[in-house]
Amino acid sequence: MGRMKFLCDVERCIDCSGCVVACKEGNHIPVGVNRRRVITIGSGQPGEKSISVSCMHCSDAPCIAVCPVDCIYQREDGIVLHNKDTCIGCGYCFMACPFGAPQFPTGQVFGARGAMDKCTFCAGGPAETFSAKEMKLYGQNRIAEGKVPLCAGMCATKSLLAGDSDEVADVYRERNFKRGSGANAWGWSKAYTKK
Amino acid sequence: MTNSLNDMRHAQSMIFIGSNAAEAHPVSMQHILHAKEVNNAPIIVVDPRYTKLAAKATEFVRIRPGTDCIFIMGLVNEILQKGWEDKEFIRTRVAGFPEMAEVATKYTPEEVEKVTGIPAAQTREVAEILAKNRPTSLTWCMGGTQHSIGSSITRAFCILQLVLGNMGKSGGGTNIFRGHDNVQGATDMCVLSHTLPAYYGLSDGAWKHWCRVWDVDYDYIKGRFKEKKWMNAKGFTLSRWYEGVLGEEKIEQYTPIKAMIQWGCGSNSNSQYNRVVKAYNKLELFVIVDPFPTMAAATCTTDNVYILPCSSQYETSGSVTSTSRQIQWRYKIVEPINGCRDDYTIMKDLVERLGFADEFYKNIKEVPEDITREINKGSLTIGYNGQTPERIKKHMDNWHTFDIETLEAKGGPCNGDYYGMPWPCWTEEHPGTPILYDVSKPVAKGGLPFRNRFGLEHKYSMSGRTEDMLAAKGVYNPGSEVKGGYPEFKDVVPGTNWKTDLSQKTIKEAISRGMAPFGNARARCVVWTFPDQIPIHREPLHTPRPDLIPEYPTYEDQPNQYRVFTKFKSEQNPDLAKDFPFVLTTGRMVEHMGAGAETRSNKYLCELQPDMYAEINPVVGNNMGVRDGEMIWIESPEGGKVKVKALFTERVDEKTIFMPFHFGGVLMGKSLAGEYPEGHAPYVVGEPANVCTNYGYDIVTQIQATKDGLCKISRA
Repeated sequence: MGRMKFLCDVERCIDCSGCVVACKEGNHIPVGVNRRRVITIGSGQPGEKSISVSCMHCSDAPCIAVCPVDCIYQREDGIVLHNKDTCIGCGYCFMACPFGAPQFPTGQVFGARGAMDKCTFCAGGPAETFSAKEMKLYGQNRIAEGKVPLCAGMCATKSLLAGDSDEVADVYRERNFKRGSGANAWGWSKAYTKK
Repeated sequence: MTNSLNDMRHAQSMIFIGSNAAEAHPVSMQHILHAKEVNNAPIIVVDPRYTKLAAKATEFVRIRPGTDCIFIMGLVNEILQKGWEDKEFIRTRVAGFPEMAEVATKYTPEEVEKVTGIPAAQTREVAEILAKNRPTSLTWCMGGTQHSIGSSITRAFCILQLVLGNMGKSGGGTNIFRGHDNVQGATDMCVLSHTLPAYYGLSDGAWKHWCRVWDVDYDYIKGRFKEKKWMNAKGFTLSRWYEGVLGEEKIEQYTPIKAMIQWGCGSNSNSQYNRVVKAYNKLELFVIVDPFPTMAAATCTTDNVYILPCSSQYETSGSVTSTSRQIQWRYKIVEPINGCRDDYTIMKDLVERLGFADEFYKNIKEVPEDITREINKGSLTIGYNGQTPERIKKHMDNWHTFDIETLEAKGGPCNGDYYGMPWPCWTEEHPGTPILYDVSKPVAKGGLPFRNRFGLEHKYSMSGRTEDMLAAKGVYNPGSEVKGGYPEFKDVVPGTNWKTDLSQKTIKEAISRGMAPFGNARARCVVWTFPDQIPIHREPLHTPRPDLIPEYPTYEDQPNQYRVFTKFKSEQNPDLAKDFPFVLTTGRMVEHMGAGAETRSNKYLCELQPDMYAEINPVVGNNMGVRDGEMIWIESPEGGKVKVKALFTERVDEKTIFMPFHFGGVLMGKSLAGEYPEGHAPYVVGEPANVCTNYGYDIVTQIQATKDGLCKISRA
């Protein structure tokens, strides 16, 4: 087995935010906390691209390296999780993360951060699998159920791929192979550079 | 859709005009992108805005709002000039071609450029892409229809596909996307004022047909009307019903409208919305049936309003029709909550109290199955008769057996059926018709010719030529007894035809002879019942190009269009553009739906799109001294005005302002958030764009022209 990975196919992402809403609705995430976001680059201009971003579950995750209480850990399958009972909400992980994945609850007195929250790859957390505590602190554990994360399951265009990196890579490689000629080969430059 | 979303996977090219599928129909995009990736199919997007769909296009064509017809006729002309038309298809299956071609010659690429702003070279290029990548799937949505010449625009789309020979072919077709899963069903049941269900019209024959279906005495139904003539007269439309209340415009009815029920209607999707609000407050009785109190409830200052909370789609069951003409069964997931009741229960109580439950429920004992059965019994025109509740449920329970490419079940309990039995599904053994007008398959297996709808021959007024309306010899479905065109079936049961014979013997006889019950004829390029028999361009009522009015004037005023005086010529004022220099167009965003009552009551969607805004080009904003994100006023020629956030973007050009129409709960700068029933205000409120959408209605259908009005903007 390879390791778990997300891959967002930017040729297919249509910026519908279905992944964002599926994540929030399914994991009961409060408004203001975004485990996943869709970023649009060059909005309204030729070449506009959108990409759905969350925790990338890095191989060498900087958040793990900087956490002063060692609450962040990596599972054998590569999924990066953390323990909310141990987390002190210091925000070091937020500063270390290149993707802005760690989130903190807002609206508390003096802006106290509270425990960090981030994408769990829908793999719950260190609490007992399928327990009420796991659901409350981390959300669903779909990986334990043998399902893909909600965001990828919801994706209307199958742009967001999630799962074993070998399989994800295969799907993406096949897609690119099919795109390899004609209208798709040159993409935007072909569409907008007139002869 | 003549084809299906799945069938678009087979397209070799696609053209979208007046459609922003990436936002309005995101699920369709998986099939569209499949065709792009696997077939290398070019995607052409024609739109005034660089939409999110345009971001996926290979060719973006920026068009001036309201000029779709001339662009398409220009493509037709270019295709004919280059000899790229499908000559055999036209010879055998198309009527009125020479007359149409004559009109099209006027629309050269240079003339198209003059009117639409599309460079002549690009029109030529698009024509070549379409000609060399067949079949093409053509999609339009409300960007194509909501114009004063909307009916001509849609005709032009059909003509383009006929000329290219793309009809009745996998990967081709005219694929008009409908929104959620029962918009097509509502259309088929004709929740409209000019026809009975299943497009039967309002003639005596139509009423008698449905009375037989309902098992209700025709004279009883007749007795419900004040006079018989109102049975056959088209009623008010959704676009202009309020004129029947306000009395400011001359109406052709013996009484003003006094009471109104809005059942699942997003009220702020009506143009001229500030006048609609006036009408709400003048009604003696106003009933809103909806899961959420709509903006209509908040706008009423009188105590004439009753809100009946109904359940959502997850709390009830029944048959619904998708954009691909597929009929599906919606199962109930949970019981209605918080005292809501499903639509059937509300309807039943209403009917009982109105005192005609015996007649209404004659055939309906088991709800909702018997309702579907009644639809099966009567809707013969469009072949809704084979989709029994039992068959629909069988399809739902065996999803996994259907092929994603062809929609055909491979083995299993539904073997050979097409998913959802797309109409027409002529008998309980018929598999459904996945692609309309496809002569490559036997009729019993889902094939069809063009319908014989318009007589056996026609003499064209413009040319004096008489043409046989039936298909040419040699065009027929495999197994057909007649090897060419034939008229519709009638008198198999004396005194009836295929669409009024409730025994369905006529339909079965036709199928058994390998023929279509509705005949085998030609599709026409000339519609002799329309004011413009062949599509021609006419400038929008409120045009930014007054210089084009003399050459492309609008229609004469219509004294009785759906019971109300409707202005055309008298409304086309060439001086308007001086004070109202920007074109105002509206559309959708992916996070909200329709008038937004439902989606603005969802906290996550509100978090993603909390503000009403207007898209303006940065050049326009900077010239008027507004900054991105500041508030601006947008004002219509009729005096409607909205205060919205300016969103600087190059999606729109320097002449166009775009607003989404999903917001509500604010009216002309005043928030109505406190006017909703307590605890039921949506999370976010905003100005409805339709306060500013201009006067203007289609000449045939009276659909509101929301896409090509004028406006002016100022700092707030």
